[in-house]
Amino acid sequence: MTAWRAAVVAAGAVAALLAGVRWLRVAQREHYLPGSVFRFGLRWWGRDPGNGAAALVALAGLALTWKWPPAGLATAVVVAAGPPGLGLRGRTSPLAWTRRVGTLAAVSFALVVVALVLAVLTGVGPVVAAGVALAVPLLIDLSLVITGPFERAVARTHVDKARRRLARVGPTVVAITGSYGKTSTKGYLAHLVAGSRTVVASPASFNNRAGLARAVNENLAEGTQVFVAEMGTYGPGEIADLCSWLPPDIAVITAIGPVHLERFGSEDRIVAAKAEILEKAQTVVLNIDDRRLEVLADGAEEKGKKVRRVATLMPGDSADLCRGGVCVRDDLDGLTLFIDGTEVARLAAGPRAGNVASAVAVALELGIPVAEIVSRVGSLPAVPHRLESVSAEGGFLVLDDTYNANPAGARAALHALKRGGNESSRRVVVTPGMVELGPRQAEENSRFGRAVAEVADDLVVVGRTNRRALLAGARSPGEGAGLLGYEGRTSKGGPLHCVVVEHRPEAVAWVRDHLGAGDVVLYENDLPDHYP
Amino acid sequence: MPPTPTTVSSQKIDSVTVAVVFGGPSPEHDVSILTGLQVARTLVGAGRQVFGLYWSKTGEWFRVPATLEAADFLDGVPRKAEPVRLVVGPEGGFAQAGGRLGRAKDIELDVAVNCCHGGPGEDGSLQAAFDLAGIRYSGPGVASAALGLDKLAFAGVVAEAGLPLLPRRLLSPTITDLGFPGPYIVKPRFGGSSLGIDLVEDITTAVHRLEANPHLRRGAVVEPYRPDLFDLNIAVRVWPALSLSAIEKPFKSTASAEILNYTDKYVGGEGMASAPRELPAVLGQTLATALRSAAAELARLTSVRGVARIDFLSDGEAWFVNEVNTVPGSLARYLWVDPPVTFIELLDALIDEALSSPTWRPNATGADGTVLRSAGGIAAKLG
Repeated sequence: MTAWRAAVVAAGAVAALLAGVRWLRVAQREHYLPGSVFRFGLRWWGRDPGNGAAALVALAGLALTWKWPPAGLATAVVVAAGPPGLGLRGRTSPLAWTRRVGTLAAVSFALVVVALVLAVLTGVGPVVAAGVALAVPLLIDLSLVITGPFERAVARTHVDKARRRLARVGPTVVAITGSYGKTSTKGYLAHLVAGSRTVVASPASFNNRAGLARAVNENLAEGTQVFVAEMGTYGPGEIADLCSWLPPDIAVITAIGPVHLERFGSEDRIVAAKAEILEKAQTVVLNIDDRRLEVLADGAEEKGKKVRRVATLMPGDSADLCRGGVCVRDDLDGLTLFIDGTEVARLAAGPRAGNVASAVAVALELGIPVAEIVSRVGSLPAVPHRLESVSAEGGFLVLDDTYNANPAGARAALHALKRGGNESSRRVVVTPGMVELGPRQAEENSRFGRAVAEVADDLVVVGRTNRRALLAGARSPGEGAGLLGYEGRTSKGGPLHCVVVEHRPEAVAWVRDHLGAGDVVLYENDLPDHYP
Repeated sequence: MPPTPTTVSSQKIDSVTVAVVFGGPSPEHDVSILTGLQVARTLVGAGRQVFGLYWSKTGEWFRVPATLEAADFLDGVPRKAEPVRLVVGPEGGFAQAGGRLGRAKDIELDVAVNCCHGGPGEDGSLQAAFDLAGIRYSGPGVASAALGLDKLAFAGVVAEAGLPLLPRRLLSPTITDLGFPGPYIVKPRFGGSSLGIDLVEDITTAVHRLEANPHLRRGAVVEPYRPDLFDLNIAVRVWPALSLSAIEKPFKSTASAEILNYTDKYVGGEGMASAPRELPAVLGQTLATALRSAAAELARLTSVRGVARIDFLSDGEAWFVNEVNTVPGSLARYLWVDPPVTFIELLDALIDEALSSPTWRPNATGADGTVLRSAGGIAAKLG
């Protein structure tokens, strides 16, 4: 029996090592947030009946190990193989071996070793080895908690350096937040002012504490007049913390939506977290299309801040309806820009009206003359993967909206799909659905599925994360005037055809096989492969 | 074909440690990365001892591997970069920040190949720092670099030598008459790139651009806009002997492009080396001879060191000197087609020149105390 016990401990250790590689990658992809690894563990082991059965075998093995140690081998084998579908290395986003991952790995490894040594010494080796192997996601979460203070101290040195740099260069700081539209608005603003100011914008993925500190330290060159910072948030207090060392002169909230709802709990808490950006700014720009932002605008005015309200108008609306200083009307085939009630420019379809309005308002606050804004607003840069249109080799049109992850953006993309092509076009939506919507995730994806059915001929569902919700929505009978406001189904006819695939390459292959000249495909959102 | 130098400054070339310097707080930071990575890769391919010294947009220095790709710089400082410091003074050079207990560790290098374009690095400031730090480097020295990046001073030197050039005036806020009719091209007075160049109809607009265009904040020059003229470029070097490249005629990418712009030059792949062009340019014998002789004279006038690219404007018969690029994109490697010079030959010559022909000779002879002895008290001097 001793040999069996030793074998189980060894197998458990090896399984834990393999699981470590697997789940460290998930920790990295999930921005090192404690708790995220365990959440993804539950997702993967419960993905489908097959994975659930594997998890049951592992748990049963663990339970039996108390009485009969060799059962632990079953647990070790299942853990070593991992939940079916979650590779060791990852296809789309492999583990990048950074200093931070190294620290995390070392602490997790130490926890495993300590647990095993203590267990062997106290005579409970096999059961603890099997348990540790199975609990690797939890151990990594624990390591994330343990390394938290150290990582914050490391970040602090970068933040201190960034603070000194900001003081020396002394740019006007524009901070932009919002559930969506941040990156586009930032890009538009940088473009509008680039002709008359030296401007530096933070890179898209650098919107948290460490990222913005790095953006300042590496990009804020001497002589920069305007620094545009995109601020993201996963929880209350984060933006207030950013503003403590990167205080904005002008603050912008583009829009509020149920993005990262999973981490916030409610949309009211999202509003409160975003509103932190207004505290230190003297001037604020708010999109009052959202009633909640209008309330914030009134509050900011009471505090003596300069408030610039922006709004969008529907097709056909007259300028009189413009309630903000800057309004942009979506004319479907283009946009019309109004400043203080006067039409100043028309631009081609593509950018979202609200984002253009916010960017123009900030440019005005920076003292850019209207003539200069008008001369540049016609050439706003397209943001990659945000409803970007590309002609495919097969002659069909590709709408790439793979960076979008919010319901409002998804609806706008479906309108664009409807506008693209002609009467005989076949229209296809390829999507894994949207994530991080908390308790509303199933409902939102189901609604999206229903909306897809209104304008598309085919829906290709990628992966399993939202498969059930998307298909349920797509197959539910249409009720009255559709979600998108079109009269009945507007596709070529016949019911929506649904296809399910595991990975995006299969979806791309399906599209190549089935689409031809004149057709349109919308790629809506993309999920890295640590999502089931 | 000239033989590849196998010994440089009495050292075997493959025992020379080369640092390729690129980046810098300049609008051409990204282009410089492309030049630097091409140089580094070529030196690695020839088995030279080489590493990269990346100068960030905010002026920090990093030692980086010579085999990086452009994509490694997309997010800023690449992951494998080690922070280093530039120390000036007799014991100067680059040093690695030591551990908490250790002191800074010197980084051994024999020569720096300067690939910095546009701003510091092509304007004499980096050269001055390297001189003071005792680092031997390729390319222009302080004065030559500063002259090349000052369009107004350069025009003065060209005019004084009697070479033809278009009228070029300093654009001042109060100017009302330039002495030549519009439309005009407004260019930053300092700066090596095509960034910030404006085409304007009249002087009032030109003066307005002076206030609005951030690239013109340090001053601007204005020239007549001549749509009938096209660019002709030629590269020159003076080591191991004065030699000239073939003459290049770069194309504007679209018919509507009024002047060869930054996008034409650089947003095409590997920088200048992949821009559209006619090479060698098909030119009349008289024009080609005139340009070659002017280029040779300009090499002397501007103390060319390393490889410089001299840009002319011409309508096919008349020609004008436009500018000199003392650290040209891709080090103008693509121009050396006739007679052919490979990139490694070009680089070996640059390294040889850097080691053999110092840029800075401080001289303290004459400061022998005579003046001090006869000076008396300082108070007496003030009185």
